[in-house]
Amino acid sequence: MTVTVSDRVRALDRDIRAAAPHLCAERALLVTRYFKTRADPHQPTVMQKAEALRFLLANKAVHIYPGELLVGCFTAHRVGGGLYPELHGVAVLEDLFAFETRPVNPLRLAPGDRYRLLAEVLPYWVTRFLAMRAFPLRRALAFVKDQLAPRFYLINETGGVSHFVPDYAGLLRHGTSGYRAMVARELASVAPGSAEESFLRSVLIACQALEEFAAGYARKAAELAGAETDPSRREELREIAATCRRVPAQPPETFREALQAILLAQIALNLESLDNAVSPGRLDQLLWPTYQREVAAGRLDAQAAFELLGCFALKLCEIVPAFSRRITRFHGGLFNGQVVVVGGQDRDGADATNELTMLFVELMDQLRTRQPNYHARLHPGSPRSYRARIAAALAAGAVSPALYNDDVIVPLVRSRGASLEDARDYATVGCVEPVASGNSFLSTDAALVNVPLCLELALHGGRQPRAWQRTGAATTAIAGCAAIADVIELLRQQLDFALHRLLDDLGAIERANGRWHPTPLTSMLLGGCIANHRDASSGGATYNGSGIQAVGVVDVADSLSALDHLVFRECRATLAEVASACRNNFAGAEKLRARLRAAPRYGNDDAAADGMVGRVMTLFADLLRARTSWRGGEYVAGFYSVTAHQAFGEVVGALPNGRGAGEPFSSGLSPQSGAERRGPTATLCSMAHLPLAVAKNGANFNLELAPWVGAEEQGAAWLGALIDGSFAEGGMQLQVNVLDPAVLIEARDHPGRYPGLLVRVSGYSAYFDDLSPKMKQEIIDRTMYGRPNALSRHS
Amino acid sequence: MQQQGLIFDVQRFSVHDGPGIRTTVFLKGCPLRCRWCQNPESLRPRQEIAFFAERCRGHGDCFAACPHAALRRSPAARLDRERCTGCGDCAGACAAAALRRVGRSVTVAELLAEVSRDRSFYASSGGGVTLSGGEPTLQMPFIRAFAAAATGAGLTVGLQTCGAFSWSAFAPLLADLALIHYDLKAIDGRLHRELTGADNRAILSNARELAERGAPVLFRMPVIPGANDTADNLEAVARFVLGLGARRLHLLRYHALGESKLAALGQPRPPMPDDGLASRHAEASLSGAVRRLRELGLEVST
Repeated sequence: MTVTVSDRVRALDRDIRAAAPHLCAERALLVTRYFKTRADPHQPTVMQKAEALRFLLANKAVHIYPGELLVGCFTAHRVGGGLYPELHGVAVLEDLFAFETRPVNPLRLAPGDRYRLLAEVLPYWVTRFLAMRAFPLRRALAFVKDQLAPRFYLINETGGVSHFVPDYAGLLRHGTSGYRAMVARELASVAPGSAEESFLRSVLIACQALEEFAAGYARKAAELAGAETDPSRREELREIAATCRRVPAQPPETFREALQAILLAQIALNLESLDNAVSPGRLDQLLWPTYQREVAAGRLDAQAAFELLGCFALKLCEIVPAFSRRITRFHGGLFNGQVVVVGGQDRDGADATNELTMLFVELMDQLRTRQPNYHARLHPGSPRSYRARIAAALAAGAVSPALYNDDVIVPLVRSRGASLEDARDYATVGCVEPVASGNSFLSTDAALVNVPLCLELALHGGRQPRAWQRTGAATTAIAGCAAIADVIELLRQQLDFALHRLLDDLGAIERANGRWHPTPLTSMLLGGCIANHRDASSGGATYNGSGIQAVGVVDVADSLSALDHLVFRECRATLAEVASACRNNFAGAEKLRARLRAAPRYGNDDAAADGMVGRVMTLFADLLRARTSWRGGEYVAGFYSVTAHQAFGEVVGALPNGRGAGEPFSSGLSPQSGAERRGPTATLCSMAHLPLAVAKNGANFNLELAPWVGAEEQGAAWLGALIDGSFAEGGMQLQVNVLDPAVLIEARDHPGRYPGLLVRVSGYSAYFDDLSPKMKQEIIDRTMYGRPNALSRHS
Repeated sequence: MQQQGLIFDVQRFSVHDGPGIRTTVFLKGCPLRCRWCQNPESLRPRQEIAFFAERCRGHGDCFAACPHAALRRSPAARLDRERCTGCGDCAGACAAAALRRVGRSVTVAELLAEVSRDRSFYASSGGGVTLSGGEPTLQMPFIRAFAAAATGAGLTVGLQTCGAFSWSAFAPLLADLALIHYDLKAIDGRLHRELTGADNRAILSNARELAERGAPVLFRMPVIPGANDTADNLEAVARFVLGLGARRLHLLRYHALGESKLAALGQPRPPMPDDGLASRHAEASLSGAVRRLRELGLEVST
């Protein structure tokens, strides 16, 4: 497709990349001012929340930046993160005096903001933020202290729920005027003074908030147009003003209006509650009717649409999450999780790929931006051109899109109660979590659990080595185990103990979110809430539930496999010896460690080792199934780890898979780094054969390929075949990295760290570790200089 | 399906041994002794032990594990290869993986099950299985049985061979091969003997037989600086290939990959003329050969 990133979009991209990210105090100050001076305490909370959002949207700074075609700002700065003092913002302020100076993700503050946050925001919310309202005072203090340096679990829902795909299809169909009419009809059927009535009235306030937000931009654009000397820019500003006068109040008629309506709603939703994983979803499907209509009428062409999509994508890059250093350890990478999904099946099961899908794929390759988080759906009927274009981008080093297999995910979404049509219309949220679009409120990132810690406790009778006191269940000594099943039973007891405490805490947080943090705008844009007369935070959406992530499952499974192999099968060591070696971080037990490492491990298409991962996954998912969420719906297991596999790893000692104390766990359901020895097809088979039906909240699988794969003429074809083959085997998800020479250098300097790293020698591939130092250097040189060596490419 | 073969590696995701994503099965044993051999572990037709001295941590478990007292204290000459039967007990005991067993027996059924695991990737890429070595045709009954079973199971099978086999034993295999990589090293008999230790009359006549039958052959030639990259040999190869009615020749670049493995296997260093020199000249030698062979009328790939 011959579309290119325009100069305008390039300039916007440059400006955004050049802008220093700020911690923006605006939201915190306005919300605080509203609750301190304007809120009517006799009004129901849900209406106060709607009014607070309205106050915020009406009073926040309005900026229209040079060259923009789509307008709206998340914060008062070009790139910034808001603060949510009623949620987790108080905890984030632990970095108040370190935001600018911290080495990772420094954030600037505008002059005076530090003082205002300290004097106005902190004192008001320190006794009122969500965790304080969820628990009695002493428990709340202990909870907050624990959650800033968590060991067993991290409850992300303490910062609000979000994590949903708004019903933007509905917004495009109805506009806020349509929602007003809908609410008016419902109001006739509810009792005056009831909670239902308050909720419905709060939705009307949310409509007004969104309309006023747009009106502010219409005014600003008109004002700028009046002062603009460049006639073409003046015309653009006038069009912006006209657009913002129409949408989102009216259903959009043009492609630009549709994107503008979605953008304003996207910003407002991020400001209403946690600015994380508000995921626009299947934009290629949502925008398709408008696109077709406009192209047919000769008012739009592919290049113009491509430019608008570029403007939209860059707008989503203007927000970053504002976290403190301690929270960043778990959610590193300045990641807002605004997922845009393209391709896949339509509601009737037919292929849904269209021209817009291809424009998006082109955009994610040509304009490699941090956000949105692009995902591509694949199914057996996906067109070859679509597959090939994606494979070519990935082989050339693009890290987007991540890939999703409809054949696995549609049944998974169905198994959570969605209708077949809704399941086929799934989109992904945040990192990897599949949900039915527009009507699911599934708190997909509710909490993360440190599963290896439970194994450590099982090995040591419920007490971590060198701990002052027992923190786990009082399980029996490991030495009494006669088979691996006995060890797994101890793990089950520890995990059960931890999950009970987690679900008790999470239940309190869920109730507090429902009571103190209703989200009327979110609810308006979630199917079910208006009809049910109930806020999403209280279970108003069509589909409810909650997702809990198991972190470190692969390390636990590999540890169990190593114990099974070495202790129960080969009898080369006793459980007590292994436990003692782990306690001492393998000091003086190098040989034992080498044997443990050499045991069968996940990622090599070994049925026993892979089966152990499945066993641990199922164990975790089954324990969750015992309880249900306060909002309704089941607790389901997810197997992705954000950066928690590193942060949780820091508090866990050595494990029987040979992993040293404090080292990171493997990411998601990817093999532990260094465990794959049989190349990518074996690893993909291992992943595809897991019991993925229990991974209802999704999982991440990293596929790392050596750079020669991308460098070769047929690289894209091989990569495409790897993806297709893996999905044919039953794989669920893939994110592909074509390796960087830096990794080869690391592999050279630390032999053993990447034993599965295949490199192209000549006529065949060899494992990098198996090569002589000279040969290694040659391979590094080849990739370093990126010179495609025409003569030794094949042989 | 119960026929036994001896292999030393099964490499998945091989993408340079034929079309698509393939699994390459390396069979053990070779009738040639090429001076540049990159897989010296492929040569002996029996299971053996490799010792990588630099990996040895001195744990000493191998001594107790060896039932034949074939291990010596000296790290320079750990294995007494006269006594060693290649049973692999020492390798099982070695925590450091300094001792490794090279070669394992598999039945046709076992091997078929193993290579079938990547069936989805063969289907998505147009790939299949490649038999390589060593020299697969040294185990002719085994590979005939395997190729028939694999073809029957819907896989495509390729063969990489040096051509030193008996035609009558090979002929029944032909129907089950989707491609044959046929390596030529030297045309002149004396040069061939000098470089590989073996006669090439069968190699050349088998090549003619294959060409006559229109078999799916790709002729290949390793270009070894200072050994077979002479003007005479290049001309002879071109004449021979063109004389068979073939047009394509695929050239393989020389790598000193085998070097590091020789000591581990207790094999004397083959007489490569100044190895470092050969490595440095590999690229130039290859591009010279490409140029010359193209002048002589061949389609050359690398």
